[in-house]
Amino acid sequence: MSRLLTILFRASLIAILAFITLPLLVVVAASFSPTSAVTFWPGDWTFQWYPALLESRWLDPFLLSAELAIIVSLASGLLGVLAAYSVAYQKCPGHAAIMSFLLSPMAVPQIVKGVAIVLFLSSAGLYKLLGTPGLVMAHIVLTMPYVMRMAATAMFNFDKRLDRAACILGAGPLQRIRYVLLPLIRSGLFSGMTFAFIISFNNIPLSVFLVRPGQTTLPIAVINHLEYSLDPVLAAVNVASLLFVLGTIILFEKIGGFSAHFHGGSK
Amino acid sequence: MATIAFSTPQRPTRIAFPFKVFLPLSLPSIVLLLFFAAPMGLMLGLSFQDQETGTFTLASYGRFFGDELVLAGLGRTVVMSGLVAISVTILAYPLAYYLARSTSRWRTLVFALAIAPELAGVVLRTYGWLVILEDRGFINSALIWTGVISEPLPLSKNLFGVVVGLTHVILPFGVLSLLTSLQGINPNLEKSAQILGASRLAVIRHIVLPLSVPGIVSSLLIAFTMAASAYATPALLGGAAFKVMATMVYEQVLFYIDWSFAAVMANVLLAMMLISAFVGSRLESRLQQKLHL
Repeated sequence: MSRLLTILFRASLIAILAFITLPLLVVVAASFSPTSAVTFWPGDWTFQWYPALLESRWLDPFLLSAELAIIVSLASGLLGVLAAYSVAYQKCPGHAAIMSFLLSPMAVPQIVKGVAIVLFLSSAGLYKLLGTPGLVMAHIVLTMPYVMRMAATAMFNFDKRLDRAACILGAGPLQRIRYVLLPLIRSGLFSGMTFAFIISFNNIPLSVFLVRPGQTTLPIAVINHLEYSLDPVLAAVNVASLLFVLGTIILFEKIGGFSAHFHGGSK
Repeated sequence: MATIAFSTPQRPTRIAFPFKVFLPLSLPSIVLLLFFAAPMGLMLGLSFQDQETGTFTLASYGRFFGDELVLAGLGRTVVMSGLVAISVTILAYPLAYYLARSTSRWRTLVFALAIAPELAGVVLRTYGWLVILEDRGFINSALIWTGVISEPLPLSKNLFGVVVGLTHVILPFGVLSLLTSLQGINPNLEKSAQILGASRLAVIRHIVLPLSVPGIVSSLLIAFTMAASAYATPALLGGAAFKVMATMVYEQVLFYIDWSFAAVMANVLLAMMLISAFVGSRLESRLQQKLHL
């Protein structure tokens, strides 16, 4: 009886993991499929769809998305650290209430935020902000709470005795921030910035309201195309953008070592 | 405790002017006030305003609840989100239980597999499901090739396709919320029940399941709210025939250019989230009370 249960449990785990990985494997397979009709398991393999990625209709949206993701992760990293510094480190008066205000965008669905921002830009006559500036601002609203929460967690866990030691040894406030606080919260900050990067790069529900015709982000270029056909080029685009995200995460990890944040944080 | 013999140095973090404490906060606050708080306030305000006179009115909401097509979309959204919430929680539970209890070296791999698709983004995953579920897709062509069926099964462009796709997208969030709850249960409770002669099934039924109720409720809630506001997956896997709130909001903005009605829809969606969060927290405390009796 117990043995049977164990077998059933294992089988269900494998089935669920298969459900999780199947769509990703299918896309990778489709990107190497020789026929334009993506059907059953392809018999031959080809790289013919990948050169198309260098055409401007895929390259331009990719460049816009990459540019946005980099700006957004840097900006929300800076803003998140500033906010976390006041709220979690200095424990400014009313820090709990301020924290919940700063986290409140997370409680609102993206599509609602999107409508609100478009409505705001249109009634304030700020149509010019549609496109890159609007996208940057909207994505920052989306990602800053995540970065702030992670930086705040790192600062809550920060051992203040180290700061006191630096103070006794004669370090000024800026030196303490530069040489004690920032290095010690680095992994938390970088994990937040990595999150911001991924969220911004893959974002649809918010970006869809703010892109300008002829200047879209990569995910939106892909879904616009997907509504008409299941072109294998799209599979290649998706695989390439996944590789780009993975590469960036590895880069962030090399610079910031954010995986330490998760090992340390899960204790 | 109060009288410690040696003197502790002055707290270096104390700064005489609160101004200095608040200064770093100003930039992030301005960004959120300008691009989040102000737009949200404006949207709420405009939806209760008469377009011409500017006076308070509920007319836009009357239009919303009087429109059968819109109400049908709302109904579809609720049904779809409910089904997604249930299927996410059922699939996430065994995974989360394994991750909470296993000490095997496969654990890290299973965790990575459960979370990694998040990196791929919604578009890639939805594309994958389209390839699998389409009329000439993976499943249908396999079934036709083996002769099980002669006509393709309707697996996409309907409720089924959307629920499958959204379940896939939201599953990691269900796993994470159940994992937190299951990790909080003392494993010794399960061991002592087993020592006292309870079968594996009885341990699950009488100890693990009841104690993980908060996790189950939060998984249901997260999945429900995420599904109700999801845009890309319903748009692609549901097609033109299966419209939900999110796709209708998008239509109002981009095709009909009716921002005020889009705002009304967005507000109804927001109200739906708040109501489900409230109902969820009530449900959780009710269930917990019952279990403690």
